Amino acid sequence: MTGDPTPAAPTRDAPTRAAPTPAGPPPATFAPVVDRTVEALVFDWDGTAVPDRRADAHDVRRRVEALTSAGVHVVIVTGTHLSNVDDQLGARPGGRGRLAICCNRGSEVFTVTGDGPHLLHRRQATPGEDAALDQAAARTVELLGERGVAAAVVAERLNRRKIDLIPLPEWADPAKADIARLTDAVAERLAAAGVAGLTEVVALADGAAQEAGLADPRITSDVKHVEIGLTDKSDSAVWAAGWLAAEGVTGGLVLVGGDEFGPLGGVEGSDSFMLVPDLARATVVSVGVEPGGVPDGVVHVGGGPARFGAILDDQLARRTERRVPAVDHDPAWVVPLSGRRDDERVGGSIGALGNGLTGTRGSLEGGGPGSDPLFLVGGVYDADGTLLPGPVWTTVDRPGRTDATPHPAVHRVLDLRTGVLLRAGDGPGFRSLRFASLADPHTLALRVEGTEPGLTGGMPLRPPAADVAFERHDLGRLAGAHTGPAGTGITAVARDLESSSGGRRTVERLVTWSTDAGAAPGPSLDDAVSRLVDAEARSFDGLLADHRRAWADRWSDAGVTIDGDPEAELAARFAVFHLLSSADDHGEAAVGPRGLTGRAYGGHVFWDADVFVLPALCALRPAAARAMLEYRIRRLPAARQAAVDQGARGARFPWESAGDGVDVTPRKVLGQDGELVPVASGLHERHIVADVAWAADHYAAWTGDGGFLDGPGRDLMIETARYWSSTVHRGAAGDAHLYGVEGPDEYHDVVDDNAFTNVMARWNLRRGADLLAASGRPDERAEAGTWRDLAGRLVDGWDPVRGIYEQFAGYFSLEPLLMAEIARPPVLADILLGAGRVAASQLIKQADVLMLHHLVPDEVVAGSLGPCLDFYGPRTAHGSSLSPAVHASLLARAGRPDEALELFHLAAGLDLDDLTGTTAGGLHLATMGGVWQALAFGFLGLAAVDGTLDVRPCLPTAWDALGLTFRFAGRRVTVRADHGQVTVTSDAPLPVHVAGAPPARFDPGTTTVDYAGPTTDRSTP
Amino acid sequence: MTTVLAALDTSAAARPVLETACRLAELTGSEVEAVHVHTDPAEHDDTPEGLAERAGVPLTRLPGPVEEALLGALEAPGVVAMAIGAHGLPDGRRLVGHTAATVLERAGKPLVVVPAEAVSPSAFTRLLAPLEGTERSTRPVVEQLLPLLGTDLDLLVLHVYDEATLPPMLDHPEYDLRILGGEFLARHFPASTRIELRTGSVAERVTEVADEQGVDLIVMSWSQDPSPERARTVREVLRTTRLPVLLVPAGPSGSYGPTCRPGTPAGTGTEAATAATAGG
Repeated sequence: MTGDPTPAAPTRDAPTRAAPTPAGPPPATFAPVVDRTVEALVFDWDGTAVPDRRADAHDVRRRVEALTSAGVHVVIVTGTHLSNVDDQLGARPGGRGRLAICCNRGSEVFTVTGDGPHLLHRRQATPGEDAALDQAAARTVELLGERGVAAAVVAERLNRRKIDLIPLPEWADPAKADIARLTDAVAERLAAAGVAGLTEVVALADGAAQEAGLADPRITSDVKHVEIGLTDKSDSAVWAAGWLAAEGVTGGLVLVGGDEFGPLGGVEGSDSFMLVPDLARATVVSVGVEPGGVPDGVVHVGGGPARFGAILDDQLARRTERRVPAVDHDPAWVVPLSGRRDDERVGGSIGALGNGLTGTRGSLEGGGPGSDPLFLVGGVYDADGTLLPGPVWTTVDRPGRTDATPHPAVHRVLDLRTGVLLRAGDGPGFRSLRFASLADPHTLALRVEGTEPGLTGGMPLRPPAADVAFERHDLGRLAGAHTGPAGTGITAVARDLESSSGGRRTVERLVTWSTDAGAAPGPSLDDAVSRLVDAEARSFDGLLADHRRAWADRWSDAGVTIDGDPEAELAARFAVFHLLSSADDHGEAAVGPRGLTGRAYGGHVFWDADVFVLPALCALRPAAARAMLEYRIRRLPAARQAAVDQGARGARFPWESAGDGVDVTPRKVLGQDGELVPVASGLHERHIVADVAWAADHYAAWTGDGGFLDGPGRDLMIETARYWSSTVHRGAAGDAHLYGVEGPDEYHDVVDDNAFTNVMARWNLRRGADLLAASGRPDERAEAGTWRDLAGRLVDGWDPVRGIYEQFAGYFSLEPLLMAEIARPPVLADILLGAGRVAASQLIKQADVLMLHHLVPDEVVAGSLGPCLDFYGPRTAHGSSLSPAVHASLLARAGRPDEALELFHLAAGLDLDDLTGTTAGGLHLATMGGVWQALAFGFLGLAAVDGTLDVRPCLPTAWDALGLTFRFAGRRVTVRADHGQVTVTSDAPLPVHVAGAPPARFDPGTTTVDYAGPTTDRSTP
Repeated sequence: MTTVLAALDTSAAARPVLETACRLAELTGSEVEAVHVHTDPAEHDDTPEGLAERAGVPLTRLPGPVEEALLGALEAPGVVAMAIGAHGLPDGRRLVGHTAATVLERAGKPLVVVPAEAVSPSAFTRLLAPLEGTERSTRPVVEQLLPLLGTDLDLLVLHVYDEATLPPMLDHPEYDLRILGGEFLARHFPASTRIELRTGSVAERVTEVADEQGVDLIVMSWSQDPSPERARTVREVLRTTRLPVLLVPAGPSGSYGPTCRPGTPAGTGTEAATAATAGG
């Protein structure tokens, strides 16, 4: 399955079926059963699509070509060979949907285009296998003969041999409709010979096959024949599932059709082999007679090919009627949004859709009190320096039943796999689906249907919050709107298509956007109109198909599986989804703490981006990480100026940065007693400078982008190091200090020699010196030498007696309070006890010293992680959303995975459970980055060490296995660990060092290594 | 036309009671009617009549007992609220007397308790609504009071966190508090766009914020349950504030349903404590 780290390989897992239900008349109508629009049809040929191979298939061809033109994928699964199907069908698809024919009972796959079939895959038997098949077939006939059953090998097909069990003239070519009589006739023939039915025949054939040396024989029967083969329809189904998954079409979007799912003569029907786990949640329909009933989960409608044709017609009609598409309700990929009215704004954040350039909140379409629809474009700010809201495109008019009307439940789900928000369940037949195209980030789309009176699109583009300039443009059949001042801002163009059918009203909306490059209306309006015309040509369904495919591609590099903890797995995928949605691959990406899921924090950039989000994107989407660094690179001039303004050299990046790179940190805030309290961060939280450098270095090390630090990233490293060199204070004793700084722990706002700041500065100086000296220029080498000397003099707070780092000068002399004496974290200790008391104590808000172990483990004393965890952990209030995931990661690395799991769950559920009460303002992207890092760097113990992927898993007891797929040094890599083995899959040679084993260069493919279990941190000697 | 009653006695609170009734009447588009319950036929104090006459407000004399008479007057059709006096004590506390207390406990309509020291502004323009974030505290105000008020009114909400309801994390208080406040208003009091978030003693914060913000009138719902463990905040506010306090009866205890979900800015002790300790 796409995104699943387990390498896909065709397997013959037992079809998902139970005891067959008793035969009975088919339901009077099939409509409710297939009351959803599917994206793919996988069906049997003979008996399902056509009565027999001689029937006129003109209508089938018409339907198949119409469906593929409409974008539906069609896979025909047959036991016979290609020409038997293609000669009869003759379809030549020309649309977006694709046609494949899986023939020769699982051994071949052909795709069919306008110029005919093309072989895609063929399982070719070896000479030995062919010989074994011959031997098995002959032996089976012999064994039947010994029992008095005259049988004959009648066909030697590709990879199989066919044995006729009733080679009598009257049964030479029985019709499908005669299956019941045929079954009785064969049973009678076998019984007369003392053979206990078809099951015994199958057993004989299986035994003969094993005896002939076939390790995995596939024995199938259509009652008249028994076949011994190397493949069966399950191979076709598995192939189809993988092929469709690459299009973003998984089981729940597939309809499987056949006529022989149930047992025939006690033997599994041949179509039952299509019921593979890879197509779980598919709608499965039988149009056959099914004398033995059908397995659970198969809907028996009967009616043969005529009924199947009607099913195809219904799917075509749904396309014509522009029905709201479906999603695959896979509980491992679908996040339900609360249906409570009060949770509307939280749902708006959780259901936000992003595509790297834009964010659209998941607000209800009918608006209503408390609804806060919002559309944002990354990097576009209002005059006040906060993200500018764009025209709202997600609202429709529901005069008969507004979203203010109390209703029993609003069922909404965010489908992570395909990046769509689906709504159903409230109001008469009301459904909606929207997406922000990942394939074309300038295009957005919404489709709504319902039977309530008065449902209409209304104004397609509406003003956002009242304090934003909004202007409409009359474009005839299109609607245009602009927000923001003339010359800047966001322009959107929309087209609504409204239609009615059988009392159901549908509104289909396409929206495109552009940003101003000059006076408005002007180039951006023309650009948006042009894009809208293109979008119309591709159609809503075409755009959706492209969007699904794009997400399938993203997930193929970003898989997460956590065996044994489905809640954590879903939460982790939720985190990855929003991380992938937050930054584009091109240009620059300004990723604020809430991304584009809400206006909170105004879209300003903090260290959240460099230290929490970027490391995850380096692995999940390297190009997006590069774009985040581009944001910093383009603001180097502002950072240099800031350094000059402060009397320093180099680059002083701001604590809080908006569009122009100038510091926008508020200088005062309202305290708990209503007084204005100075904010120290802007002036004093200088570790941001080293954080930016660290991000650049981590990017280069992880992605293997060797040219980055020699090219555009070089100045980031060197100018930041130069800043430290110009701001470090030299003490009389020759040591060096950083006075008046604020570390990550904001309970102690202005301190001297904060260990995190000093060690990060030291690292920055050393790393910058490395790059500077590499130029070979004498002046730069001399400066590099100065930096190295300075780095060596910087005090770092290391206390050799205690064996831990002192968070800042004088910290150990503070009141030694522990959180256990106050309240159970997470808690705002400064509010509970008062800021003054907390500042005078050892309680800390979040990981501070421990951030060093997280970011620069080679810069800290080997073996100090455990003691620092033991000391600072009990003193940490976790009053920041950034803290729990970091602690989880470090606890795992320290060999304490079960402790880590508790904090991991806290971080993973932060937004899904609205633990902070602020999810309504947007999602906590840094926490999500931390969640991924905890999985990767904590529980899997991954690290990039000189181009080698270091792997040191340490899994919690509750997890059976953890698997991640990611990019590393230009490769797609999957690492999966359980409590005894590590399996690494790579698409290229990969240097890997698994703990406990020697470093090795793994070949492309999959390598499994045993390992001894939880390991200690790599820094422990 | 609706009516606001002013329950005038012969104390120093009578004048501010009448003035408050007049301000409230202007706010609600109502007429004012003064009522005075005479229990002693020999009483010759004409303070209520004089006050009413000077204010141009009709006065109705009602026979006792006082509580029943006032409650009867309040129940009359068209009456939307009544102003009644509290009494100051030398130590600065204000005491809701027996009469006022009885009426408060039994009234089915809003009552304004007016301290004797209250200085009435020329108009009520800014109201302060301390809210717990529960249906019990919010719905009476929203359903009974807001429909009476005009739209050009500054409605300031105050929410005071306690240990149990305090959010567990604040990344950047300057931003997160804005989110918390906005979410609180959206969930509980969308009629307002302004909120103050504080911690500590509710009564103290009410007084502080009222002073800081130049509030004219404090509006609260209350359970009408006189037992010591209930309505402590209301009693404390009444004791300490110099402003009129409009109390909107919440009906029987618990009649407004459960408290808010954990993780929201408000919640009862039990649920919010659960949220605060949901660490894994």
